[in-house]
Amino acid sequence: MPLLSIATLLPLLAGLALMLLPVRPARIVHGVSIAATGATLLLTLAIRDRGIAPEGFAQLEEAAWIPVIGAAWRLGVDGLSLPLVLLTGLLFFLSAIYSARIGDRPATYVVLMLMLESASLGTFMALDGLLFYVFFEVSLVGMYFMIAGWGHEDRQRAALMFFLYTLLGSLPLLLAIIGLHLASGTFDMRAWIGTPPLGGTAAMLALVAMLFTFAVKTPVFPFHTWLPAAHVQAPTAGSVILAGVMLKFGTYGLVRLPFQMLPDAFAAAAPVVLAFGAFSALYGAFAALAQSDLKKMIAYTSVNHMGYVVIGVAVAALAAEPRIRTIALDGATLQMVSHGLVTGALFFLVGMLQDRAHSRAMGDFGGLLGRVPWLGWAFILSAFASLGLPGLAHFPAEFQIFLATFNARPWGAVALLGIVVTAALYLRAIAIVFLGPERGRGRGMPDLDRRERLVIGVLLVLIVLVGVMPGIVLDVIHRTMSGLAG
Amino acid sequence: MMGRDLSFLLPELFLAGTAMLMIVAEMLRAPRLGMTIGLAGLAAATLLTLPVLDAETTVFGGTYRIDTLSGWAKLVLLPGTALALLMVRAEIGGRLREGSVHALIVMVTLGALMLAGAGDMMLVVLGVVLTGLGSFALVAWPRDDAATEAAMKFLIFGAVTGGVMTYGLTFWFGGTGSTLFADLGVLTGRPLILAAGLTALIVGLGYKGALVPFHFWVPDAYQGAPVSIAAYLSVVTKAAAFFALTQALRDLPREAGWPMALGLIAAVTMTFGYLAALVQTNLVRLLAYSSIAQSGYFLLAVVALGASEMALPALVTFAAAYAAMNLGAFAVVLVAGRELPDLEGFGRAHPWIGLSMVAFLLSLTGIPPLFGFFGKLGLFAAAIDAGHLWLAVIGIVNSVLGLGVYLRLVVPMYAAPGRRRAVRVPLPLFAVLAITLAATLGAGIWPGLFLR
Repeated sequence: MPLLSIATLLPLLAGLALMLLPVRPARIVHGVSIAATGATLLLTLAIRDRGIAPEGFAQLEEAAWIPVIGAAWRLGVDGLSLPLVLLTGLLFFLSAIYSARIGDRPATYVVLMLMLESASLGTFMALDGLLFYVFFEVSLVGMYFMIAGWGHEDRQRAALMFFLYTLLGSLPLLLAIIGLHLASGTFDMRAWIGTPPLGGTAAMLALVAMLFTFAVKTPVFPFHTWLPAAHVQAPTAGSVILAGVMLKFGTYGLVRLPFQMLPDAFAAAAPVVLAFGAFSALYGAFAALAQSDLKKMIAYTSVNHMGYVVIGVAVAALAAEPRIRTIALDGATLQMVSHGLVTGALFFLVGMLQDRAHSRAMGDFGGLLGRVPWLGWAFILSAFASLGLPGLAHFPAEFQIFLATFNARPWGAVALLGIVVTAALYLRAIAIVFLGPERGRGRGMPDLDRRERLVIGVLLVLIVLVGVMPGIVLDVIHRTMSGLAG
Repeated sequence: MMGRDLSFLLPELFLAGTAMLMIVAEMLRAPRLGMTIGLAGLAAATLLTLPVLDAETTVFGGTYRIDTLSGWAKLVLLPGTALALLMVRAEIGGRLREGSVHALIVMVTLGALMLAGAGDMMLVVLGVVLTGLGSFALVAWPRDDAATEAAMKFLIFGAVTGGVMTYGLTFWFGGTGSTLFADLGVLTGRPLILAAGLTALIVGLGYKGALVPFHFWVPDAYQGAPVSIAAYLSVVTKAAAFFALTQALRDLPREAGWPMALGLIAAVTMTFGYLAALVQTNLVRLLAYSSIAQSGYFLLAVVALGASEMALPALVTFAAAYAAMNLGAFAVVLVAGRELPDLEGFGRAHPWIGLSMVAFLLSLTGIPPLFGFFGKLGLFAAAIDAGHLWLAVIGIVNSVLGLGVYLRLVVPMYAAPGRRRAVRVPLPLFAVLAITLAATLGAGIWPGLFLR
């Protein structure tokens, strides 16, 4: 059975079916949404069960699409994409459960979410350059309407900025993909990886275009300015998907395209990439420290965490020893997964807080831990994970990234300072919002209900599991990455 | 010999006969019959094109080309005209002289086919005149001040640019001793003569295709004319101009420098069109400037002629995509109203039409997996393949500007709660919306159907 194609198309088809229903009561709509995303999650687990190949891609699925130009429906997974596919399946399922109380035009909302899930899964699994680009762009449209339709106060401006900025960001990628196509006559990404078609100046131009695209998407300073606005204005599930899944398009793309398809040019430019990554990590940490809006703070910590991923990928291109390169890539990929789990949880929690108090400002709260222990402890655990505490999800990832960085380019490890700043900002946020005497808007606030506890509980368990036994994810990643690094 | 030539001309002959019959129907005051004849004639001409689609020949001593380009051009122009007829029916159906409008449209399309197959300078002149005369009358149809002024402007611009073109083309005739484009190769090494004829051609066809700086008539003419006529002019006569330009430049050596000149015009046209569209509040004017910007994109394929095999497929694909999405967008304007505030809450009140409009606008921007994306993909690929990376870069930057323009329509459609305004979607218009939407989505998901 073509599980990959089914998983990619199932959410989209469920959405289309919803659109054709004559009446769409909210209960039915959300039921369909949970069922479709749940089924997709099961499909991604089945894909994991089938496993990956020791080299290259596994579970290939191919169908004719535009034969004249060598574009086809090509899907497959490896150790880089499979963890992200699982993460996508999980976060969309949890978002569907969390969103089940949305009463404003629920059908349209759910259709957009399902469309986004298809686009996200397609982006990670596509092995065809054109198909990859199509999925990559479709996700922008879905997210634009999500922010514009269900966002907060200033949503129109934020949505517009998001769409314009990220479209400007992704179009250079199209030129680079056209360049690869013109040089090779196909859109098959496996062919591009097998024998990189571009060299010399053309490769450098394509690299610059791709780096620009992925720097906007990841985002890397100074191309991050769309992110705080989009995150703060997006509805909660939108923020979770944006941070948990869509930011990974940038770093996934960074490994899949420039690292694998333009290896020489990427190696030449890697010191610059490393510098951008390190600066971005530091900048994100300091900018987060300056925020008083919880959601904005978490948004900036994303810039910090994704900066580490960029460092990892750059170090993998710079290091001489295959062992170090593997460690860097392992760490970078694991960091993507950890960030999805941790930041997903944090955005859910801030959303839950905002639902109750209609505020995201730290100053509006105090001493919440006694009032809402579930929410409080969940936030504290997630925050500790986010600042890189050993035993939680980010630690094994960041540890490997810094280990490799120390080995290859010790100066890159200045970004380590970011961890200290992150620790400070989370401790400050916890102290203000959850500790001390109860004050502000916390009075009379109910704790998490059963559904919310389910959503958060699943994420927390996984955060601890990945922290304690990173092998459950890392084994898959490592198999592919040791091949890439060799 | 004559019989062979005529057999290749069956689509054109059929269309000419159709136009005559439509005039007769109008004389009988039977506009519905006229329209039916028109649709049937267009359908027949389309079908008659299919057998000669892969032909690569000329008729009448090389003056008229029956080749892949002219064949595919017919497959774009004829169905596009049929859709425009339906839109006219929906907009001015039952009013005085409706049948004349139908007949004129088919006549103008005949001129457009001539342009698309032109292998000779005189045929280009003839095509420009034939499409022009009919178009002036079509714009003037409402007979109010705005329409009269618009038609007047249109006419004067047309007369001047047409005159310049005819005059300038005499240089080519003088240089080659022939009016055939196929003989232009002998002009290599005579830059002044080449430049004179080239300038003339760009003036004449640039006016028809709405390239900056020959675009001034476009917003006024579109605004003064009925919406359906604006839609027709923005698609059929415009695409015909680019087909004609392609036919002429295919035989001109690239060393003559025309790719660079046209590249610059393309860059200016795209940028100017979108910048001007950003500040419009009248939807027809906004779409007029947007169509000017799209003219710049058309040129990307023309610029790549002779240097990339992708130039012709890209031109045809983009023309087809543009026809579908632009006619669709105008059809929605026909339903919703001509002013930007008319769109407020429109998408919430009428989800399906709103969704169609979003698809048309995103397709015009070039967002996948819509038809417009594959059109632009081909254009960019052709430009890069021909060594004009800078032009592709300007094209993508302008796509972002374009998104800004089109989101100005999308935002009000969903921002305000819907005012439930009853809208009239007569059957012909419904058909137009359904067909253009199906093409925009369908050819986007399965472009292989088109890209053969």
